[in-house]
Amino acid sequence: MIRFLLRRLCWVLPNLIILTFLLFAAVTQWLGSPAGMMLGTDASPEAIADLNARYGFDRPVVVQYVDWITSALSGDFGRSYISRQPVSTMIANAAPVTAELAFWAMLTSIVLCLAVNSLTVAKMTVGTIAFFVCIVGVTVPNFLLGATLINVFSVKLGWLPTSGWSPWRNGAVDHLTHLIMPVMTLSAFYFSAFTMIYRAEYNDVRQQLFVRVAAAKGVTDDRISFVHILPNAVLPLVTYIGTSMGGLVGGAVITETIFSMPGLGRLFVSAVAGSDFPVMLAMGMITLTGVMILNLLAELTLAALNPQIRI
Amino acid sequence: MNPNRILRRIGLAMITVIALAGIFAPWLTPYDPNVSSYDVLFGPSPEHWFGTDELGRDAFTRVLYGARISLAIGPGVAVIVMLVGVPIGLIAGFVHGRADTFFVQVIDVFISIPSFIVALMVMATVGASLVNLVLVLGFVMWPEVARLVRGQVKSVREKVYIEAAVAIGCSPARLLARHIWPNIMQTVFAQLSIVVSLAIFTAASLGFIGLGLPPPAPDWGSMVQSGFDYLVLNPWLCIGPGIAVALTVMGFYLMGRIVD
Repeated sequence: MIRFLLRRLCWVLPNLIILTFLLFAAVTQWLGSPAGMMLGTDASPEAIADLNARYGFDRPVVVQYVDWITSALSGDFGRSYISRQPVSTMIANAAPVTAELAFWAMLTSIVLCLAVNSLTVAKMTVGTIAFFVCIVGVTVPNFLLGATLINVFSVKLGWLPTSGWSPWRNGAVDHLTHLIMPVMTLSAFYFSAFTMIYRAEYNDVRQQLFVRVAAAKGVTDDRISFVHILPNAVLPLVTYIGTSMGGLVGGAVITETIFSMPGLGRLFVSAVAGSDFPVMLAMGMITLTGVMILNLLAELTLAALNPQIRI
Repeated sequence: MNPNRILRRIGLAMITVIALAGIFAPWLTPYDPNVSSYDVLFGPSPEHWFGTDELGRDAFTRVLYGARISLAIGPGVAVIVMLVGVPIGLIAGFVHGRADTFFVQVIDVFISIPSFIVALMVMATVGASLVNLVLVLGFVMWPEVARLVRGQVKSVREKVYIEAAVAIGCSPARLLARHIWPNIMQTVFAQLSIVVSLAIFTAASLGFIGLGLPPPAPDWGSMVQSGFDYLVLNPWLCIGPGIAVALTVMGFYLMGRIVD
């Protein structure tokens, strides 16, 4: 296991450096310039030169990259161009919101997926409904779903707060009611995608001999489904969850924008909208790194579950 | 009939209707998508099916014209993916040993990139335009297709008829073009249909967070975003274009389903 980890690290670390460098170079040098983005297209050459000199954007891109990484490693991501706050503080304030949203959404999708698709009652009906729900779930954009939920549950029925975020200290009920619609919005897609993968594998495993043996021995249907089939059918789902981390971040960006949640996604979007280059750069680099680390963790989980992968 | 076949036909029918609506938009509505009027923020009525937006433009007209943009973005991205992802996948599937490992690793690295975030940053840097959008989405979407093509080539390669073709002295280029490609073509085109649906989905999401085509282009994602502020007043401004996105994405997605 340690050897597997080291071997993967030898591969992931260089990639991480190359990819973050490519992203850094692309947004600072190759595709556009921070000055052009922050000052607009009709800025005077003097203003651009002044800004470049002040922030060091006129240095070679490799120097800038090394400089940025060195200070980032010591926790300094620069300051916001607009609010003058340190980027690290802004991120530290926003991260718990996104982490909680992602946690609840993933938990809901995984638990619902496993429970609904392992149910032994009304298999045909549940199967047919699940099939159509999945097609809708993976194709309906989450901004449409979010807008519809707000329209129904907040505007028409008035049951839930439209948007915003309420910290735990305002009380658990208030906190959780603010989370219901965002979690539904974000987990709809994942529930559907997970269901597709899990159902296919579940139906494969169900054909296997040990399931028939269990049935012949008189094990109850529920026990077969949840104890015999589920653990054997869950592996492809774990693989998929690992690779879907990148997409989850994208989904969180949209969800936080719809429900005005003060998380990382909204920080990112408002940085883009306000041309706040330092914040945008830090967010992009951190997301890229975070997703690669999460992918590595998923790979390790998989290796722990399935010794074949460790070779 | 196979349920997937029925779904594919439903998908094709949906896309046909949407494409026709986009093409014949000028004959279907009396309004211009970009001309403002003083009829600002009217609710839905027989004259304005989805009402009018904050500049007095007919929302339904803009949704119809928006089909043109989405149907340019989606297939445009598919062309880029076809030109980049498919050849890389073909080569990766064809070579053996170290070269194969190299291609697999490179494709895996690109797959692990959070595509939406990278697309968002690059679009913010280069500025939103139709060409930029297509290029950026093509760039983040080719790896999945390359991986699929590689897997397909690998599985076809093991077949006896390939061995036979090699035995009678078939060149690698001919092997790929005449013996391998025709056998994987259907799967690849199905996947490209999924790519189109994903591209439209992502483009609309970018539009929703303000990185859509610059106004006044009737971009569905941007329309959802601007309609979102008037959700209480007239939900159709937001939900109308949203449903258009959902139906188009669903149509291409259903067309690309060949296995369940």
